[in-house]
Amino acid sequence: MIAAVERSASEIDDLDTLVRLYWPRVFRFALASLRDPDAAGSVAQDCFLRAYRSRERFRGDCSIQSWLMRIAVNLIRDYARSRRLQFWKRAPAFPVDLETVGQWIPDGGASPESRAMAQEQLAAVWKAAGSLSERQRTVFLLRFVEDMDLLEIAAATGMQEGTVKVHLFRALQAVRERIGRWE
Amino acid sequence: MSQHLSSQQISQWMIGERTPQQEQHVGECSQCGAEVARMEAALGLFRGSVRHWSDLQVRVPRPLAPGPRPHPVRWALAAAALLVLAAVPVYRSAQDRQRQAEIARADALLLEQVDAEVSRAVPRPMEPLVKLVSWDFSSTGERDENRRDTSPKEEIR
Repeated sequence: MIAAVERSASEIDDLDTLVRLYWPRVFRFALASLRDPDAAGSVAQDCFLRAYRSRERFRGDCSIQSWLMRIAVNLIRDYARSRRLQFWKRAPAFPVDLETVGQWIPDGGASPESRAMAQEQLAAVWKAAGSLSERQRTVFLLRFVEDMDLLEIAAATGMQEGTVKVHLFRALQAVRERIGRWE
Repeated sequence: MSQHLSSQQISQWMIGERTPQQEQHVGECSQCGAEVARMEAALGLFRGSVRHWSDLQVRVPRPLAPGPRPHPVRWALAAAALLVLAAVPVYRSAQDRQRQAEIARADALLLEQVDAEVSRAVPRPMEPLVKLVSWDFSSTGERDENRRDTSPKEEIR
């Protein structure tokens, strides 16, 4: 345990390694949350700078990924709040083209009908994720995009495990309801 | 368990909360199995599309932190190198000055030797002849010298 903590601390000291290992994941989570590549890049950069500056406070009681995600969750929340302010200034809120993103389907040799149905489902999930509350969306993305388990999500969000379950359940209900419209 | 899974139970299933009876039912019931598979497929597509989009957009930056501070020894080596580089022109300048001074001294010595040669009464090879003749220049001067020039002629007469 002590060795693991020492290893984690040394990994945090090495910012180059930290960025190389975790930047894509932090960026992806920010991108899925904010749906704006520029904003996601800014959040990722702030996340790693903040992590490096406060590395002395990392005690090793959670994984580096959970620690970084916790910083990212806070930054995304702050950014989303400021963006809501921008919304009222008529600034674009979601630069991403959901129709384009929803077109992505792996080439598995499926029939045109199956591909069309899959595209509809995918677009429905994107829309449903966009309509979730901030907390529901956060736990939904951490669970189903980042493949984090409930304890890791609890560590990253600062919620209790039971609270994570509740938000995740509600998020799934909302997504299922949205997908159901395409049946 | 004979009843189909409710909407809530399917959502709980997706979270990972499932009983052995539910697992058995989903394994046996094509309707519930299809519903679970449909949900898993939709979430899988969503995961794949997010990752695909992110892979297209992500740009892992170059190192953000300032690099490690140079070791003091490196600073000392760099300073020494600078000193050497700065000292080379000074040393060369001093060498040039010394060389020019030597040339000037040699030129002056040569000039002195030339002056000495030019100011000789007779050329150096004839000096032994001069020594053989016991002319006395000290008391008579130029006029006596002329007179002596004639005296041998008179003696001949």
